[in-house]
Amino acid sequence: MSQTIIVDPVTRIEGHAKVLLDLDDGGKVKSAGLVVNELRGFERILVGMQAATMPAVTARICGVCPSAHAIAAAKAIDAATHAEVPVAGHLLRELLYMGHVIHSHAVHLFALAGPDLLFGVDSDPAKRNIVGIVEAHPVIAKKALRLRSLGQKINETLGGRGVHPVTVVAGGLSFVPTPERMASVTEMATEALALVQELAPPIIQALLALLEKSPQLAGIKQETAYLGTVRNGKLNLYDGTLRLVGADGKILKEFAAAAYAEHLVEHTYDWSYMKPVFAKVDGKEVVYRVGPLARVNLADGMETPLADAALTAFRAQWGRVVHVTALQEHARLIELLYACEKAVLLAKDPAARGNTLAPVTFTAGRGVAHVEAPRGTLLHDYQVDAAGVVRSANLIVATQHNYAAINRSLTQSAEALGVKGPADGNLLNGLEYTIRTYDPCLSCATHAVGRMPMQVSVRKDGVVLYDVRRDS
Amino acid sequence: MTTTKVSVNVEWLSACGGCDTSLVDLHEKILQLFDAVQIQHWPLITDIKERPKAKIGLISGAVRSQHDHKVAVEMRERCDAIVAFGTCAVYGGISAASLAHSNAEILDRVYVHNPTTVGGAAPKNTVAVLEDKVLPLDEVIPVDLYLPGCPPHANFTFEALAAVIAGRVPKARDESVCGRCKRTMKKTEVAAIDSGYAHPMDPSLCFLSQGQICLGSVTLDRCLSPCTEVGAACTGCAGPTMQILTEPNRDLRTEVAERMSLLTKIPAAKVVETMEAGAKSHYAYAMATKMVGSKPTFLIKKWIEKIEATT
Repeated sequence: MSQTIIVDPVTRIEGHAKVLLDLDDGGKVKSAGLVVNELRGFERILVGMQAATMPAVTARICGVCPSAHAIAAAKAIDAATHAEVPVAGHLLRELLYMGHVIHSHAVHLFALAGPDLLFGVDSDPAKRNIVGIVEAHPVIAKKALRLRSLGQKINETLGGRGVHPVTVVAGGLSFVPTPERMASVTEMATEALALVQELAPPIIQALLALLEKSPQLAGIKQETAYLGTVRNGKLNLYDGTLRLVGADGKILKEFAAAAYAEHLVEHTYDWSYMKPVFAKVDGKEVVYRVGPLARVNLADGMETPLADAALTAFRAQWGRVVHVTALQEHARLIELLYACEKAVLLAKDPAARGNTLAPVTFTAGRGVAHVEAPRGTLLHDYQVDAAGVVRSANLIVATQHNYAAINRSLTQSAEALGVKGPADGNLLNGLEYTIRTYDPCLSCATHAVGRMPMQVSVRKDGVVLYDVRRDS
Repeated sequence: MTTTKVSVNVEWLSACGGCDTSLVDLHEKILQLFDAVQIQHWPLITDIKERPKAKIGLISGAVRSQHDHKVAVEMRERCDAIVAFGTCAVYGGISAASLAHSNAEILDRVYVHNPTTVGGAAPKNTVAVLEDKVLPLDEVIPVDLYLPGCPPHANFTFEALAAVIAGRVPKARDESVCGRCKRTMKKTEVAAIDSGYAHPMDPSLCFLSQGQICLGSVTLDRCLSPCTEVGAACTGCAGPTMQILTEPNRDLRTEVAERMSLLTKIPAAKVVETMEAGAKSHYAYAMATKMVGSKPTFLIKKWIEKIEATT
């Protein structure tokens, strides 16, 4: 008789995710999966809304990456209406977005992953948070908070607001920033670039120390394919061609966002609100990953000098294609460097001055666009009518792409650890590490996964046999 | 802020995490906040697993599932004062647009009839059961302080926390977004509604004067009015002003229509008609609250059905 186990982090992430383990007759792990426990149903509720409001409305899908949704939506409506966005409109959207990426990557590195990096994954949970970092490492913490603030303020200066910006609209950017605003953005970007160079060495050092201290982390790896965006072969976050590479780094295919439905397919699980996505390659469905590690794996190189040098060093140390999920943090740092460098370049670019907005005229049509959200490829697809009303909407968000790989890693971890009964703290820790290294942002479907207490409910044919629980 | 640390639990229900992020947007002030409060439970950033007793409970997000409902009740039991933090908690927020659809309809679109999903079926095991509709927080537990905003500007959040900590009433005025808007309102000869995106608009003139729908005059300022300064009309994300909420005969569309018809040559009836046709956008943030939803002439479902039926 087969059994099902539910690892339930309900007390920490409030019911938005838990883990399910299916056991076979012999009590061995058959499969494991992250259960996403909430649904808001944007693909239905967007229908009937005004297409021009999509950037502002879909920003509300995720308060962790609102600028990514706003840009993906604006670009999709640009495409649906054939709007000719002025160069300055594109450059300033990208600059705003670099601010957002600086903020988002900095939050992740210092507030979400930082506590693990600086204190170790087994340290006192009461101290293992951003407040603990502020107390124990006040200098690093202040600089990190400052870096995050600068990113968010760049995003806000050009977006009107930090969380849920309003200036990213179909046709470009809704206003021409004053010279004062541009001067302040340039100043902030310059300061951010200086700060990130100070912060990078201690982060890399902390990551190396963590891998040494917790060797199980280096064992969590997945040889998957990777999907991300390149422009002229170089990593790009705002726009470009989608590239899928195999686990060996070979390019499997490159395609435009508009063709996503030919290359990607979603499935459903009857036990989770989140849908996994697979890539279609030679008639087969392939598991792949997205996000910073995927992007640095598939790019030929970085467009900016410091980030490119950092990538070269990363590859010299870890190899051309890196599968260890914990090294995601290192990849994120390379992108953080890139975002700061790129922000300075864009802020100083004379082409980013002048008219930012093109007129938009609706005809019945479809628009598909994508952006590299901080955690991976984000796709928006709209059918609009001549009155400018959304008739259908389809979205694929970053964590969905990683979902199959997360579940595969969970299965591997559970197999390796074994399921030993109600007091199995080892299983809980192992599964928690596994999920954390993937940095799943469930906000886009639900919420960000912060930290995870674990509760495992062991079920047999749907009936709970016992719970494995870790309380503080 | 006081020197004695005040205990705080932060919690999210059906939300985007933007309110949590906006707390971090206190920027340097967040260090002051850390000095004044003991954050015990905050799923996004702390490792404390339980929800201990706390003086203040900050809840963002609407009640979408039975699980959200249960968490809200538990927070009420553990916290002395509950703050409904953000538009979703106060009014239901953006996902309340799902009011127009049954759960079956939503699940069908996401899992069954979806262009890139194959072999789909709606999840039915282990996932939390959805409530029949999105509920604002105070429909399931008593709320002590309402702080709308999508998200609220950090200044309001800081003031709200400082006030609750000090045991005083927060200093927050009942002004509309127009209060801080720098655009000039003047009478024009504009005779037709303007979408705002078909041609360049005047960046210093009131949107209503230009015939473009702006909800600034009917929206509570919990944002410091940044949008109109950067070319964006107000979309009402902080929810309606007290005047709209408390008077049954006033409504977003009739108030906007009255003002626009006074400022332009556009008849009020035309503005009302336009706003009803765009109801799902214009009422996106607060349609789930009974204070809006119970108005006798508020026929949101009918308006939305009408627009969705037109092809």
